[in-house]
Amino acid sequence: MKYFVVPILISALATFIPRALPYWASFLDKLPPLLSRMLRLLPIAALGPLVFPGVFVDFAPQYWAGFGGIAVSFILAYLKGGMILPILSSIVVTYVALLLGA
Amino acid sequence: MSERNLTFSLGCKDGLPIFVGYFPTAMAFGLVVKDLGFRLWEAVLFSMSNFAGSGQFLAASLIGSGALLVEIFISVLLINLRYTFMGAEVARRLEGGVTGIRRALLAHGTTDEVFSIALMNPDILPAKYLGGLELVSYLGWVSGTALGFLIGLILPPALQLAVGVTIYAMFSSLLAQEFRQKGAMVLLIAGISAASHSVLTLVLDVKIGWSFVISMLFASFIGSLIIREDV
Repeated sequence: MKYFVVPILISALATFIPRALPYWASFLDKLPPLLSRMLRLLPIAALGPLVFPGVFVDFAPQYWAGFGGIAVSFILAYLKGGMILPILSSIVVTYVALLLGA
Repeated sequence: MSERNLTFSLGCKDGLPIFVGYFPTAMAFGLVVKDLGFRLWEAVLFSMSNFAGSGQFLAASLIGSGALLVEIFISVLLINLRYTFMGAEVARRLEGGVTGIRRALLAHGTTDEVFSIALMNPDILPAKYLGGLELVSYLGWVSGTALGFLIGLILPPALQLAVGVTIYAMFSSLLAQEFRQKGAMVLLIAGISAASHSVLTLVLDVKIGWSFVISMLFASFIGSLIIREDV
């Protein structure tokens, strides 16, 4: 079984650098508004490719099993907030869909 | 919030809501990385060394899909760039004379939520207060990760295949929360990046990490042109 220490620490470095930078450098106070809006949208823009197309590809050819799972988690998170209930429900839905051969 | 004495214990107390918010999200993270084949200590090391919501989820997803280290580095760096701007504001308010390792630790603890709570206080932020606030948040994140991992161990084996959906369910619930808070533009931007990533990886055969970076930059650029008000 392989170890994940190196990518974990690479990711830690990629997190620490942008965090620590402003504590030692102060040239970042003024940015063009377009750039600063773009930076704030990055986390939202990341969510799309984190779900698609992976959720279809991973469950091929039972495409709908994965899709059913994320649909229920989306709806529950929208209505009730939180993540645990949406995630656990998605496991159940995907499980049932796989059983039914969706 | 005037006349508050910004002590270590007040920092801890202000951190409690963050603890409560982080704990279940971190549990979800623990569940996901367990499914990706991480060991318990690796999951805990992940949360201890990164201490970043979306950045960690992204890194886990890329690691799981076998992305190159340089792809992981650039993608995670991009998603965490917002910390630079939050940190700039916190650092400006931090009391003087905090240097070296103490300054580095305080920088490490700067998350979106810590930033929001810390800046509700007017004036100077004592290092002790900020330290308490960050410490409690940190404990919520790290302990939640461990518990989520352990719950993953006792899930019935029949559910194991279906558990592959957890990482996607996590992102779709994050998306739903963003949608609820910020409206339809969230779905537009995420939709553009999802479409771009699908075309690049499935049709044009671009490597997953690079495609991710390109799609994320492209969609947020389009978004920044369309959306004028602050988000």
